[in-house]
Amino acid sequence: MPATDTSPAADAPVRPARARTTRRGWVRFAVALVLAVAAVFPLGWMLSGSFRTPDDVFSPSLLPAHPTLHNFSYVLTQVAFPRYLLNSLIVAVVVTVVALFFHSMAAYALARLRFPGRDTIFVLIFSTLLITFPVILVPLFLIVHTLGILDSYAGIIIPSIFNAFGIFLLRQFYLSLPRELEEAAIVDGCGYWRVYWKVILPLSRPVFAALAVLFFLANWNAFLWPMVVTTSTDLSLVQVGIAAFQQQHAADWNFSLAASTISALPTLGLFVIFQRRIVESIKTSGFK
Amino acid sequence: MTGLAVGERSARGASATRTTRRLSRRSRERIAAGLFLAPDVLGLALFVGVPMVVCIVLGFFQVDGFGGYTFIGLDNYRRMFADPLFLGSLKTTLLYLVVLIPGLFVVSLALALLIRQKFPLVGLFRGAFFAPNVISLVVIGLIWKFMLTDQSGFVVRVLGFFGISSPSWLGNPHLALWMVVAVTIWFAMGYYMLIFLAGLQDIPREYYEVATIDGAGVWQQFRHITWPLLKPTSFFILLTSTVSMLTGGIDLIYVMTSGGPANSTSLIIYYIYEQAFVYGEYGYASAIGAFIVAILLVWSVGLFALTRGGRFNDARD
Amino acid sequence: MGVSRRSLFRAGAGALAAPALLSGCGSSVSGRKELVFWQFYAPTPVGGSPDVVKQSQWFTRMVNDWNAQHETKIRLEYVTVLGNPKLATAFAAGEGPDIFLLSPGDFARYYNGGVLAELTPYMEPEAVKDFFAPNMATRTADGKVYGLPMEIEPLAMFYSEQAMESAHLAESDLPRTWDQLLDLGDKLRTRKAPPIMLPNLPGYYQNFTWYPFLWQTGADAVRHGRSGFDSAGARSALQLWRDCIQTGIAPRTSPVPDSDAVAGLGGGYATMSLSGIWTVAAFKYRKPKYRYGVIPLPTPAGGTPRTALGGWAFVANARGRDPETAAKFCVWALGSMAKESIQRVVDWCTVAKSDIAPRASALAAGRASGGYDHPVMKKFADEIFPTGRGEPRYPPVVYKAISDAIQQCEFAGADPAAQARLAGDTIDAYLTSYRGVTIL
Repeated sequence: MPATDTSPAADAPVRPARARTTRRGWVRFAVALVLAVAAVFPLGWMLSGSFRTPDDVFSPSLLPAHPTLHNFSYVLTQVAFPRYLLNSLIVAVVVTVVALFFHSMAAYALARLRFPGRDTIFVLIFSTLLITFPVILVPLFLIVHTLGILDSYAGIIIPSIFNAFGIFLLRQFYLSLPRELEEAAIVDGCGYWRVYWKVILPLSRPVFAALAVLFFLANWNAFLWPMVVTTSTDLSLVQVGIAAFQQQHAADWNFSLAASTISALPTLGLFVIFQRRIVESIKTSGFK
Repeated sequence: MTGLAVGERSARGASATRTTRRLSRRSRERIAAGLFLAPDVLGLALFVGVPMVVCIVLGFFQVDGFGGYTFIGLDNYRRMFADPLFLGSLKTTLLYLVVLIPGLFVVSLALALLIRQKFPLVGLFRGAFFAPNVISLVVIGLIWKFMLTDQSGFVVRVLGFFGISSPSWLGNPHLALWMVVAVTIWFAMGYYMLIFLAGLQDIPREYYEVATIDGAGVWQQFRHITWPLLKPTSFFILLTSTVSMLTGGIDLIYVMTSGGPANSTSLIIYYIYEQAFVYGEYGYASAIGAFIVAILLVWSVGLFALTRGGRFNDARD
Repeated sequence: MGVSRRSLFRAGAGALAAPALLSGCGSSVSGRKELVFWQFYAPTPVGGSPDVVKQSQWFTRMVNDWNAQHETKIRLEYVTVLGNPKLATAFAAGEGPDIFLLSPGDFARYYNGGVLAELTPYMEPEAVKDFFAPNMATRTADGKVYGLPMEIEPLAMFYSEQAMESAHLAESDLPRTWDQLLDLGDKLRTRKAPPIMLPNLPGYYQNFTWYPFLWQTGADAVRHGRSGFDSAGARSALQLWRDCIQTGIAPRTSPVPDSDAVAGLGGGYATMSLSGIWTVAAFKYRKPKYRYGVIPLPTPAGGTPRTALGGWAFVANARGRDPETAAKFCVWALGSMAKESIQRVVDWCTVAKSDIAPRASALAAGRASGGYDHPVMKKFADEIFPTGRGEPRYPPVVYKAISDAIQQCEFAGADPAAQARLAGDTIDAYLTSYRGVTIL
């Protein structure tokens, strides 16, 4: 697992023709710069808009004419944001941790253990990926209702844990691990649980890091299910709270943009801080 | 799990013959597999499998959304193929996928190739391409609607500044779908770029060195080294992007266009949502949902079949 | 399967008690029955714009009053958007709220689904007559009342006085006919003045704002159980909106979110905007000094003035925990002859919002207390509201057929005659097998 900050293996294929590559390197740099600016521009535009006054919000100038924090203070007094933030954090973290644990267990069995019906089970698990959420929303609601966990953290969290994507990726990753490691452990008399715990889990760290990011993002940004399953505002997640706010203030772009910025800031912030780690772990996690 | 441990110890302690040992190992392996799989399999069965079965069954009923069910056999399916709106959205979806999937593929691969090499600030660029991916689709839709709207949108204003009168990006039925495609590519490209980067990283650099010594140009290197060795990654991306683009993205459509103008962005997933939650036609929505799942199944099985033999589904026993 | 889903629900109801511990809100374990009221006004967090606060207070006070006088309590639950999947999902699972707000567009579906409780038994006959009939019709079936409107929201054309002036247009240029509307649009375009804004996102709201133009021609989408859509009237009304969009008189996408009139006129993005009476309150709170005026919707040559009356109604869930009390609550709140009930309607329509009161007595009381003194409100009450007809309660298929015709003509430039015929055929095909409440 390369821990360096850039991909070492495929870098700089040609050493002798240094002059040429450098020139080409600068072209690359310029192209990448233009594209990168274009890619983040809309986000910057959202940010800039969230500091604008209502009269200024449609102005094409890049920076606000009269920067104001009013939009933010308004949104924050209207929406119980700290509470929603906490709810989203609890949900996203719990789902991520439990899902990683369950998925890696299942993936280990599918990749490494021999048992009858393994391929069938794998195909069945994989095929759940093809199911579109809106289609199963009503039956899912009925099940959660039957379990008596409507309008609770459990109701938001439990159904969000199970997702074939994670199992699939982890299985692919485990298939790529050298088999000798666990063989040795098994010959040593380790049980499967200990092989999983002592050998597989530690090896999974990079792929876990990548999946954790994806799971966290997916749950942080989830909207439809949390909205449908909860009714008390104490349980609202960030996206639902922001949507409620936008519903009331749809006409005011400046407020909507401030609300959008607030809902995007935590993930953008996390991303900026851990950018290198996140990108590296996704890159080296064997998604293929 | 304790049962397993006991099993191990007794197997180790007893002076069993080789055959019984192997037998007991096999059954221990089966039990272990069952226990490892149990949480996820039960969870998936309960929260995805059962609802899907319910959905398939509902496809044969007329449902009024208030507890009234009437068995109508295949009527929902017959209705589907006589419903111009369904056929229209099926066509729209095909068009969308045919442009989006290759577009996303090419853009993410190009970005990955662009920034695979070391040059100043490369990490920052990678981050910039990935950044849209961390934001919710509701917000993404809102931002782009804000930027693309007539008269007041940034894009319109800037083009106007240069004396270019822009078309109505989201109000022209011939353009709106392509705007949705473009925004989707912008949103998803960073993620697939990283997966391509992972694939590129696995290609030994010696191949390129040898090729350069042999006088192969950039394009030849790509054609004869990168492309063939990237196949597993490519298949993975084709498969997962098709599934996720077909089953996701309602939020984006909902916010950006509401399926309009003139149904031009009414993708099948949006139509299902509309039938179920705006019209209360759960039976019909379920039938369409089941149909889409079936199509995806064929697509995935097809891709799997194509990639067997490659590393992609390399179930080494 | 239907059976199993229902019994699944029943089995679930038993299992509900124990895991209530897990539930974040499970506080209603007081043993007494509590009815839940889903709406989108209260409780709302403190702070915010004054109109939102007033509306929230009105709801809270009403429920507090009820709870002080009655054994069965009501609890307010804030639900983001009522036309959203949440309400639909809850009803599909047999978990619908006891009381909720319903718009006319959804009436047929909920009535035909058998979830609306009849309110007439708890109403004095005098009170039933007190509600304005053209607005009440879409909440009534076979002479029985199933919903009590809390407000009436007619549509009209709002215009910016400032934008008119800077385009050198006088009051006499304000359009009274469709041709004048198109002429004005042309003038605005050639003088580079902001355009005329029409709602342009597909949906129930767009249909609602288009119906008056259809009705002005004397045509109707459904008449005597058959489609009246393949008619000269429908064709010309489609043609009008098509012309507005295709010639650029009206923008294809709204320059401000949701075609909001205050943001559009106030921000200088529109000279004129098709909108409802709620705009008056929105101006009052968001742009109090803004100079704007209102005119009735222009009519076709030889047509009759018409507008559509929107607004939401209280309804009781016939399959709720206690439908009788829920129904009594709706009547107590908005539909009794008691002075408090009438005053509540007056307060909602003239203090918390700017709407036409749905009851003759409440409108009279509102006038007396000065709620309709504002010139625009006066115009709405005296001139526009009397030309109104309740927002239709078309089932989804009918709504969608009309919506597609409007959208195709406007945005794809389709031929109104062909679209009117297509929509008429779709509606007729649907009506032959339709069973349920009369389509109005």
